[in-house]
Amino acid sequence: MQQKLEQIKAAALAELASAEDSKAVEELRVRYLGKKGEITAILKQMGSLSPEERPKMGQLANEVRADIENAISTAMAEMGKKAQELRLKKETLDISIPGTVKEVGSLHPLNSTLDKLIDIFKSMGFDVVDGPEVETDYYNFEALNVPADHPARDMQDTFYLSENMLLRTQTSAAQIRTMEKRKPPIRIICPGRVYRSDDVDATHSPVFHQVEGLVVDKGITMCDLKGTLETMAKEIYGSDTKVKFRPSFFPFTEPSVEVDVSCSECGGKGCRVCKGSGWIEILGAGMVHPKVLLSCGIDPEEYSGFAFGIGLDRLTTTRHKISDIRLLFENDLRFLKQF
Amino acid sequence: MKVSLEQLKTYVEINVPVNELCDRMVMAGFEVEEIINTAETMENVVVGKILEITPHENSDHLVICQLDIGENEPVQIVTGADNVFVGAYVPAALHNSKLPNGMNIKSGKLRGVVSNGMLCSGEELKLTEDDYEGASVYGILILKGEPKPGTDMRDILGLNDWIIDFKITANRPDCQSVLGIAREIGVVLGTEFKPPVPTYKTVGDDINNYMQLEVKNYDICPRYVGRFVKNIKIAPSPDWMKRALKASGMRPINNIVDITNFVMLETGQPLHAFDYRDIKGGKIIVRNAAEGEKITTLDEKVHTLNSDMLVIADAENPSCLAGIMGGLNSEIKDDTKDLFLESAKFRRDSVRRTARALGVRTESSARYERGTDIMNTEYASNRALQLIYELGAGEIVDGVLDANNGLPAERELAVSVNKINALLGLTIDGKVMVDILNSLHIPTVLSGDTLTCRIPSFRDDIEYMADIAEEVMRIYGYDHIVGTPISGAVLRGTVTPERALDDKVKKLLTSNGMYEITTYSFIGSHAIDPLNIPADDARQASIKILNPLGDEYSVMRTQLVSSMLTVVGLNMNRKNSSARLFEISKRFMPKALPMTEQPSELKTLSMGLYGDGEDFYTLKGLVEQVIELCGAKVTYERSDEPYLHPGRAAKAVMGDKTVAVFGEVHPNTAEKYDLSNKTYVAEVYLDMLASSETPLVIYSPLPKFPAVSRDLALLCESTVPVGDLLDIITKAGGKLLENVSIFDIYEGAQIPEGKKSVAFNLTLRSAEATLTDEQIETVMNKVIKKLSDFGAELRR
Repeated sequence: MQQKLEQIKAAALAELASAEDSKAVEELRVRYLGKKGEITAILKQMGSLSPEERPKMGQLANEVRADIENAISTAMAEMGKKAQELRLKKETLDISIPGTVKEVGSLHPLNSTLDKLIDIFKSMGFDVVDGPEVETDYYNFEALNVPADHPARDMQDTFYLSENMLLRTQTSAAQIRTMEKRKPPIRIICPGRVYRSDDVDATHSPVFHQVEGLVVDKGITMCDLKGTLETMAKEIYGSDTKVKFRPSFFPFTEPSVEVDVSCSECGGKGCRVCKGSGWIEILGAGMVHPKVLLSCGIDPEEYSGFAFGIGLDRLTTTRHKISDIRLLFENDLRFLKQF
Repeated sequence: MKVSLEQLKTYVEINVPVNELCDRMVMAGFEVEEIINTAETMENVVVGKILEITPHENSDHLVICQLDIGENEPVQIVTGADNVFVGAYVPAALHNSKLPNGMNIKSGKLRGVVSNGMLCSGEELKLTEDDYEGASVYGILILKGEPKPGTDMRDILGLNDWIIDFKITANRPDCQSVLGIAREIGVVLGTEFKPPVPTYKTVGDDINNYMQLEVKNYDICPRYVGRFVKNIKIAPSPDWMKRALKASGMRPINNIVDITNFVMLETGQPLHAFDYRDIKGGKIIVRNAAEGEKITTLDEKVHTLNSDMLVIADAENPSCLAGIMGGLNSEIKDDTKDLFLESAKFRRDSVRRTARALGVRTESSARYERGTDIMNTEYASNRALQLIYELGAGEIVDGVLDANNGLPAERELAVSVNKINALLGLTIDGKVMVDILNSLHIPTVLSGDTLTCRIPSFRDDIEYMADIAEEVMRIYGYDHIVGTPISGAVLRGTVTPERALDDKVKKLLTSNGMYEITTYSFIGSHAIDPLNIPADDARQASIKILNPLGDEYSVMRTQLVSSMLTVVGLNMNRKNSSARLFEISKRFMPKALPMTEQPSELKTLSMGLYGDGEDFYTLKGLVEQVIELCGAKVTYERSDEPYLHPGRAAKAVMGDKTVAVFGEVHPNTAEKYDLSNKTYVAEVYLDMLASSETPLVIYSPLPKFPAVSRDLALLCESTVPVGDLLDIITKAGGKLLENVSIFDIYEGAQIPEGKKSVAFNLTLRSAEATLTDEQIETVMNKVIKKLSDFGAELRR
């Protein structure tokens, strides 16, 4: 019987070695280890053994069974591994095919630029406020030191809706509304749409956008104005951007300046974008005029402030090198998808 | 303000090249719009003296000229003109020359004969009679006198000049004059400013023998200075004066008119000369016009006046629109013998109003509108008399009529050096400020911290410390301003809740593949028509712009759909096969028309979709997401919006308010916008949603017990809204129903006519225990029963 068991073991292991797939192994397992298998058959003959031999043979039979079982499970694991390797190989994909993408849209370039500005100014403690686009003559002009029949009204061609209502020509109107409501310290920006009666061409649009800024507090200086604008310009155009003040005139600031930034295209050497000057004019600014402070009930002896008005459209077109402002309002999807 | 560099040099030393001059003026506050080199227009054109003329053997209309051009050898030039003669001095464009009309001349052969250039006509040199006498003659320009052969024609024509166009800001009316600019150049370059000192001789007599002057309105005319000149000799002006006028864009007329214009350009003070013969009663009355009074101005236009307008009248009629334009009746004529010369100050707002009301704008009114210097009236008057005297244009009569109501006293302004420095953020020495202000002709003394400035009459713009600070700074140099961070309390920047909501909505929409557009807030007066909105709808009552750029941009929009559909149409037209677009902008709804107060500006979201995969439900999904984001609870109802497909239009209703309208564009509307694809459009009224606060999320525990899934296939009338079935299931399902979703809606084969099959998937779960079959059965039976009561039967 011992011999028989060893023969079975040898045969099983030999067959196992030549088994080609898991199906063959399973058959083999049933044949040797199953209820009607060979080892079971042997064990059924145990009754014919002497009581002394029985435990010995039983132990041997169990050892043989365990050996075969181990061999089978090792073989099965091996085969599973091989089969998996095969399957994974079959499943190999062409990774050069572009990925599946769910299309994400985008903000209009004017608003993505505005968002950037809002981030910059919020981080400097500016509140973002909004004002009406239909303004009264008072807020748009009079309170900003531009009385009726003042020559400064010629600086802006105004769309009128009634005798004293108009489409705001500047977000500066928000300065007055803010100063009437709040007391210093004031730090606000007011982004918004403004209107001037300019015919449409590559650089003009009767509808455009400004971001007004206003700071009023004790001890605010013109150097603070420059520092603030430098921070903004470096964020928008790059860290080596320079800012230059040129004297100018606005009725609601004194002193008033035009603000140029070094051309980001040529770095100030002069090119087509900056028309050879090395500088791009992006905004007007100045120290808040004492008359404007007074008309809002703020004592110019105690407080000072600065204001600026950024041309958002120009900032956007120069930043993205958009050659024609009309593209901003045309809304061709092929244009919008670039941003 | 265009000025000639040559003229400027007669008043101030300019010791730098023109480009540097311009750069430095820009940094002092005088922007340069244009620099024109008059010399650049013409090159290598010289005076030639014709020595010999011979016929051309191959042509009967060409002749061959030999010209002395100041060289050893004569040059040969062929011409077709027949007015040339031996001994004539003519402009000769030599080989490689450039003409003002853009022509480049080279040597060549004309019918076989060498021609080393071209003889020029006045027209070819772009000259008119005003530029050069005889320039309009047909043929070659015959030069006057005996200019030296070889002389550059630019010297003959005075074309060796630069014309600089300075942009003068509204606060500097004093620089609307050549002298004003020269004064600033003197400050910027640190050179001496030498304004002309008027001197002339009179012939005795007395103005009072001829003229009386009465000013009835000193408020509008605070000063009027009159002078009298007799025995006028009208003649052309000298070339230098003509050139100065043309440099500034004015046309020479005759010596007297030219002198008044020249002095206006030079001093900034408009002058007017009246023909004495036409001043009825020898009397000038400065008065308001009578209501309806008429005047015919120099340009032969008849104006009807009102009583706000100021006129210069004689004893009978208005002779002049004060500060704007002279009357036709009293203009200077070729046979004018005696003249009355006006130099007056008129209030700027009055001139501006009158000029606007009558639609007249002149060099004179432009200067008055910005403001003139009351003390300059006398100077300008004397300067004109000096020129009349020097040109021998007339005899100056003694005496001045100077009507004024007292001249303003010199203003003094005391400001603190420290306060100026505090405003600028600098530490400029008080003595440096004094030097700068004195150089600006603002006499200033320093005592302790105080600058005491005597403000000259031409600097009305200086009123406050800030004005002095600016004067100091623009000369001291803005390069000295060094950026510093704002001092003071640390503040945290915030945005308004409305803007925060916009940002959230935009994020949601872009993540759904939508692109933001930007369109104008004003639209055409008929842009709303294709939407078929009834006449009594509030959206038809739009605010009109009184002075639009054109009908295309003439009314404030009351809806965003027309703009959206225009953009959709453009994109379809450009072959963009699909698009998801949105815009957040304002609708302008007047509270009353005509407007009595500012209108409501209502923040609105518009969306437009077209292309494969887009349908009513993709749009509805977006609308639902936006509304959910805003935390609003709404119900959806059918909409009768006229621009939408009546069967595919819906609105979201919150309480009694419609917060969104959306659907497929009506074919009639689509046709008007040339929409070739089905288009889906929505308006969401964000102004109404902004108030509903997004609720804070409160965590609910994750389920511990398994869920059970059951499908229900129902058969019902095809008109039954699926939303109603959903409501019934949700209600009947009670607490144990966790979720219900639709997985199929079907009409067609195997379904009876007029019916549809709707299949739902229900998820049941209890938070307390695993559901028993019995519990599930109870819920399902209840749901089925309620559905059956509604007419929806289980499909078997």
